[in-house]
Amino acid sequence: MKTNNDIASRIGESHVTAARERFGSAILKVHWGSKDQVVFDVAADKAPEVVEFLYYGRGGWLSVVVGNDERSLNASYAIYYVLSMEAEDPCFCTVRVTTPADSCEFYSVSSKVPAVIWGEREVQDMFGLRAIGITDNRNLVLPDDWPQGVYPLRKDAMDYRFRPAPTTDVENYEFLSETGDKETTVIPMGPLHITSDEPGHFRLFVDGEDIIDADYRMFYVHRGMEKCAESRMNYDTVPFLAERICGICGFAHSVAYVETIESAQNIEVPARAQYIRAIILETERLHSHLLNLGLVCHFSGFDTGFHHMFRVREKSMNLAEMLTGARKTYGLNLIGGVRRDILGEQKIVTLKYLEELRGDVKNLADALLSTPNFIDRAAGVGVLDRKTARDYSPVGPTVRGSGYARDSRWCHPYDAYKTLNRKPITQDSCDVKGRTLVRVAEFFDSLSIISELLENAPGGPILNDSWSIEPHRYAVANTEAPRGEDLHWSMIGNNQKCYRWRAKASTYSNWPALRYMLRGNTISDAAMIVGSIDPCYSCTERVAVIDVKKQKQQVLSRRQLENYCVDRRHSPLES
Amino acid sequence: MLKTIREVLRTGNATVQYPFAPVKRPEYARGKPDHDSEKCLACSACAVACPPNSIQTVVDITAGKTTWSINYGRCIYCGRCQEVCPTGAIKLSPEFELAVMNKSDLEETCVYSLASCSECGEFFAPAKAVDYAARILSRSRGDDEHMRRAIELISVCMNCKQKHDAYRYWEKSKQAGELLC
Ligand code: SF4
Ligand code: SF4
Repeated sequence: MKTNNDIASRIGESHVTAARERFGSAILKVHWGSKDQVVFDVAADKAPEVVEFLYYGRGGWLSVVVGNDERSLNASYAIYYVLSMEAEDPCFCTVRVTTPADSCEFYSVSSKVPAVIWGEREVQDMFGLRAIGITDNRNLVLPDDWPQGVYPLRKDAMDYRFRPAPTTDVENYEFLSETGDKETTVIPMGPLHITSDEPGHFRLFVDGEDIIDADYRMFYVHRGMEKCAESRMNYDTVPFLAERICGICGFAHSVAYVETIESAQNIEVPARAQYIRAIILETERLHSHLLNLGLVCHFSGFDTGFHHMFRVREKSMNLAEMLTGARKTYGLNLIGGVRRDILGEQKIVTLKYLEELRGDVKNLADALLSTPNFIDRAAGVGVLDRKTARDYSPVGPTVRGSGYARDSRWCHPYDAYKTLNRKPITQDSCDVKGRTLVRVAEFFDSLSIISELLENAPGGPILNDSWSIEPHRYAVANTEAPRGEDLHWSMIGNNQKCYRWRAKASTYSNWPALRYMLRGNTISDAAMIVGSIDPCYSCTERVAVIDVKKQKQQVLSRRQLENYCVDRRHSPLES
Repeated sequence: MLKTIREVLRTGNATVQYPFAPVKRPEYARGKPDHDSEKCLACSACAVACPPNSIQTVVDITAGKTTWSINYGRCIYCGRCQEVCPTGAIKLSPEFELAVMNKSDLEETCVYSLASCSECGEFFAPAKAVDYAARILSRSRGDDEHMRRAIELISVCMNCKQKHDAYRYWEKSKQAGELLC
């Protein structure tokens, strides 16, 4: 019988004791979902305080907020706040609250812990639950023209193929601005042109050239993957879908997904498979960091560097193709292991590639870092101060550039990372420069991790396919994608389906903090700052600039903004 | 600056002439799955494994046909089909240039006939798959009762098999004097 509750293997006991001491009977029940995952069932009205206590009092960071329609299981909806405990006694603590199916209300944590805000807004949209006291009540995911009362992730709401007809032509989303005593008007913008990879709608509130505040909106191309996985896929084919969440760090998602199942169902993964997963995850980091470094070159006007980064990046793509059979979407993961082994001759070629990459990137990175323009453009720009970082739980190089040693690989080691003894790479400058330096250092770190893993990988099988599943067990799993922690949560149901799958991509954690990074900078730095959290930079597609003094709005194209960022002459606002 | 210029001269031209000159993908690259309709048994194992349902089989029980089809437009080149195919009838090739002018050209279909039950005459399983199973069984050394019966009933449909089993159970119980009704 699967049991995760034998005392010897429990991690996180100290948090339970502390919470029990503080909140007494408000902690209704505690159980371990897997070895290092504690779930607290908490009385609804005490949830905000418990989350706050674990977050600020016990060194927790918010990983994800998961809503779940559990009416068929226990006649209620459940909300899970997953916290990554990174100070003493590292583990995952999940605070679970339920809300009865008739009231659909729960107490918002957002006024105590700002980091939950996107998660709670999403739960409101997707499940039609109401967060009492939420600090930002706007839609997050659902568009303005979505019909009222259709909550996509409710089990009885809709078929996954259903595309409701738009209910309104009016854009009613209100962009926020904190511009002090200066009155601003929010002016509706034209239609969106999804001409680039990722659409997003930004508004910068400026005074002359200075950014006073910024707001933005995403989810224009929400693909409904979670719904699709829950209704259309079988739980064992979801890794292939998960891999398609992101065109860059897809493998990190597919590993995170399979590990939720492996962890919830106690499925053992052969050691060699764990090494292979880690090697491919690092290969993915190589090409992702080179992409971002290329873009940094581009934004700081060093276009030769940009082209060379991309030339060199091609080697990491070839490496991935050799190891997996494809440049991207490696299709390697199954529950219980991987599908392709790394053969002896591939190992030799990989080591050769790593050597070449080390030399090439060293030259390029030296060139970039010694360009006076780069230091000029990056130092002191886009500051993510330590307090904002603490409040919003950003991840990856974004938070590590602000001096926090948050790296999922070393805070909650998984796969072959368990065998390595390394520390997160950090920088204290909190600016674009810090984040770039973190990426450069991590690139070289990844090279040495891959060689180390290749040398030490044990032999043996790569797939364990004899296991059984027990419905309705759930677990989280983390991976450190190039942009930061990816966190998945899943619960298998009956009929070979995922009952609920929640995938949190790394940039989801970084967006809420971006607003604060933009404040106090000039428009010419905007693209550089957005680029420094490493989303697809085309998220700056269509920026509306609203001059708070002149009450004037002007829409800039991405090209104009980018060109201005590159050469810093001919401000597009001066015409 | 000088260093950068030297680097540029050293590395030369990095771009390739594709599509004006062909590029060769390595052997191990995953591309278009090639289907060998001769080897295929129409057993549907690939259709069950295929994550995006790019492979489908549609059975027409009255006509006694099963149609195997693949839609390359849906295929994600994962190779699950190759992994589960019992005969090696489907294999990934490195080919990646799959653009067509006409969407329907992305689809390929093969029709296979079903075997009919030797007792009731209903169509029940792809004829080639039944043959294949018979061949495997006849090669097996095991001479136990179980195996003999499997060979005996190879061309009998599910329903008739159940009837056989029920009858056998009844016979046995009668011999043992256990039948209560
Ligand atoms: S390669 Fe994958 S997607 Fe394509 S047909 Fe085979 S199983 Fe289906
Ligand atoms: S698994 Fe192989 S034999 Fe069976 S239907 Fe698919 S291609 Fe044909």
